[in-house]
Amino acid sequence: MLFDETTFRKLDRLALVASQVRAGVLKGERRSTKRGTSIEFADYRDYTRGDDLRRVDWNVFARLERPFIKLLEEEEDLAVHVLVDASRSMACGSGLQHKFDYARRLAAALGYIALAAGDRLTVALLRDAAPAAQFGPTRGRGQAVRLLRFLEAQTPAGATALSEALRAYALAARRPGLVFLISDLFAPDGFEAGLAQLQGRGYEVNLVHVLAPEEVDPPLAGDLRLIDSETGAPQDVTLDGGLRDLYHRRLRAWQDEIETHCLKRRANYVPVTTDLAWDELVLAQLRQRGLIK
Amino acid sequence: MAFLTPLALALGALALPILVLYMLKLRRREVEVSSVMLWQRLLRDREANAPWQRLRRNLLLLLQLLLLALLVLALARPFVSVPVVARGAVIVLLDASASMNAADVAPSRFEAARAAVRQLVDNLAADSRMSLIRVAAQPDVLASGLADKDALRAALAAATVTQGPVDWAAAFALASGAVRGARLDQSTIVIVSDGGLPDDLPPLPGEIRYVPIGSSAENLAVAALSLRGTGAGLQLFARVTNAGDTARTVLASITVDGDLLSAQQLDVPAGASADLVLDDLPDVPAAYAVALSVPGGAEGLDALALDDTAWAIYQPPASGRALLVSPGNVFLEQMLTALPGLQPFRLLPGAQPPDEPFDLYILDSLTDTLAVPTAELLVVNPSSGGDLFQVGEVFTNTQLVRVAANDPLAQYLDWSAVRVLQARRVSVPAWARVVVEAEGGPLVFAGETGGRRVAVITFRLQDSDLPLQLAFPILISNLINYLAPAQAFSAPDGLRVGETLLIKPGGGDRAIAIDNPDGVRYQAAATEAGVLFADSDRLGVYTVVSNQSVLGRFAVNLFNSAESAIRPAATIRVGRADVPASLEAEVGQLELWPWIAAAGVGLLLIEWWVYQRGATLPALPGWRGWFRRKKNAA
Repeated sequence: MLFDETTFRKLDRLALVASQVRAGVLKGERRSTKRGTSIEFADYRDYTRGDDLRRVDWNVFARLERPFIKLLEEEEDLAVHVLVDASRSMACGSGLQHKFDYARRLAAALGYIALAAGDRLTVALLRDAAPAAQFGPTRGRGQAVRLLRFLEAQTPAGATALSEALRAYALAARRPGLVFLISDLFAPDGFEAGLAQLQGRGYEVNLVHVLAPEEVDPPLAGDLRLIDSETGAPQDVTLDGGLRDLYHRRLRAWQDEIETHCLKRRANYVPVTTDLAWDELVLAQLRQRGLIK
Repeated sequence: MAFLTPLALALGALALPILVLYMLKLRRREVEVSSVMLWQRLLRDREANAPWQRLRRNLLLLLQLLLLALLVLALARPFVSVPVVARGAVIVLLDASASMNAADVAPSRFEAARAAVRQLVDNLAADSRMSLIRVAAQPDVLASGLADKDALRAALAAATVTQGPVDWAAAFALASGAVRGARLDQSTIVIVSDGGLPDDLPPLPGEIRYVPIGSSAENLAVAALSLRGTGAGLQLFARVTNAGDTARTVLASITVDGDLLSAQQLDVPAGASADLVLDDLPDVPAAYAVALSVPGGAEGLDALALDDTAWAIYQPPASGRALLVSPGNVFLEQMLTALPGLQPFRLLPGAQPPDEPFDLYILDSLTDTLAVPTAELLVVNPSSGGDLFQVGEVFTNTQLVRVAANDPLAQYLDWSAVRVLQARRVSVPAWARVVVEAEGGPLVFAGETGGRRVAVITFRLQDSDLPLQLAFPILISNLINYLAPAQAFSAPDGLRVGETLLIKPGGGDRAIAIDNPDGVRYQAAATEAGVLFADSDRLGVYTVVSNQSVLGRFAVNLFNSAESAIRPAATIRVGRADVPASLEAEVGQLELWPWIAAAGVGLLLIEWWVYQRGATLPALPGWRGWFRRKKNAA
């Protein structure tokens, strides 16, 4: 099991936050910018032909003899998309710090929060140039066990073409909404194009950048031939103190680049190292960043 | 620092092939990482100088280059200039006299001298040669004009100290010869000694330097020990001298054959001596020893322990009693009286012989057999031989046929002028050998039978001109020596170290052996002329053994006031010049390659360890990281 009961109860009280709420098909539990069909009054407007007669305020019509349509605050459900990078590069780290396990656990937590809040959840695994497996769309707390089983069945494999996969997902998904992209972003073609595609389709993107500790500070030394786990491409390197420093600087610069890009694109960027306890991430860090309330 | 073989530095070029080999053959460990994306970006700007980057901080390569550098450096034989006593053709005279055994400089003066010479060898300049002469009783050349320091060190290590006085004059002669072999103006003679050189030494050619050894003058010695038979019994006399600067009280222990006889406390003033006399000692053979010690049994009597003990052997004089039974023979009587170590007594035929036995019975022209005890026997002109031999008629054909030339009894015997009128015909028994034979029969024969030695002259002396010839005393002396040999050796006062002793076991050829105090056995086949024993180089009691029986013992003592006076001399006198202690006035070369080679070996071990461990430098904390941590910690 990815979680125990206590964790579930903690997650029960949480809800995902989307700053730009998107219209839902079903009544949800969150306020929408749209005027809608809930019981909270918002405004009136003139009746136009085709309006639902059930929404005419008959009390006002009796007093003014003009039909007004009562506009109510619409409470809508949210489409939540959790996209997990399932390429081979995610199979890094050991034990609780295994990157893919960490990503699965995070996806499960976010998914459960969404299900518990009555949101419409889609979980998809990205591999190669397309979504490899998909859970949902579905809603309701009752789907939580299925979600966990779905995630537990997944293994990391294949290469990453993140932009392609994101583009494919953006085109295929019917209902844009809140996207959590959990990935190490080790994608030769980058992720920027895919991000743009998602945002163009109206998705609100939260980017969780997962790295294992050994990627942040490689425990390597000497004359090495580094083999890419996805492509098998070799890279000779003589790793010494100077190169290690350079690597640290380079990694930081890369993360800064991503963060800057996300800021510009109004996407949330959350860099995470897997030695951070995942519940600490969910219960504290994501809340601090306002992604969860 | 300079180099003796700077050309070897060119071997440093071997570093190039090592570098090339490293660049060609660089084994990389394969490691799977999640992605090489970052590494590729990272290395893009460093690719340009990649070959050199590979070599950077490769610990093994670094060690190998360092090792090469050390080897090349060692081959180039770097040296530093150090001050030394001598250079050029250096002739070292190493004093090995008894006083060099003194332990006032630990472990001994000789070892200190050896260390001083070793330092000379170590710092010997490349263009210098060294000869090494050990000054002993017979000085020997340990090394002659060598530049090879290893050979010099080996020769020096083989040098030993003696226990006696040394012959400086002979050593000086050797040194002079060595100087003549070298160029005079570049020759230096270094005398490593504690002084004690005689004052009458001849001048030496070349430069002379003196390296004094020793620090203390404190020494007590048994300077004399003798045993003397008096009417009242045996008397022991010992003299203890104090060569030091302070008056001393010393305990003299006298032992007889290892058992303590007496111990006396003596007060010996500085620079003076004290005597010790013991009377009424038993008149039996015994080994006496006098040993000095500190009263109360404490250690450390003085610096030189060698002369703290002396030995003396008491051997009662041999009687050599001979009984001449003769009707009157003036030749024999005079001859026997003249022989040393023999006490002759005369008895007329028919008289009752005395009761006490004699060592030798001489029966001259007896008509009847005399009942004599079983003892050595010389029969002249026998009328009957008893049960020893058969006597026949008189014969006159006494022309000489043969003298047994190789027989010790016929040694120096010239019979050619001897005329014999007549002799008795005696058939030679099986136990006897003929010494002089005439046509008619033997004239002189001798042999051993029934545990006694018997010699027979078959003619009346008065019937020949033998007593008037030179052959007579020689023959009688030879016969008497054979029949009643004197003591094998005589050394009543013992020997001093290096003195020789003539040992004549007597009685023909015998193998003798001499055990020295250390238990070393010297063996020799003694001829009638005896054995000259010259290996008296150790102090103590020597035992002479022949045919499993002990012939006697003799003592070897130092008894040398010059060696016992161990005060190190500030100057020595050579020729007419006083030579003071030398300063290190010359410049020598201390070679550094042994240390460099040792460092190379250490480095090789480190390299092996690194190779086994598979470590490269970056596996250790990088220097930059280390400095940074230091800075952060600060």
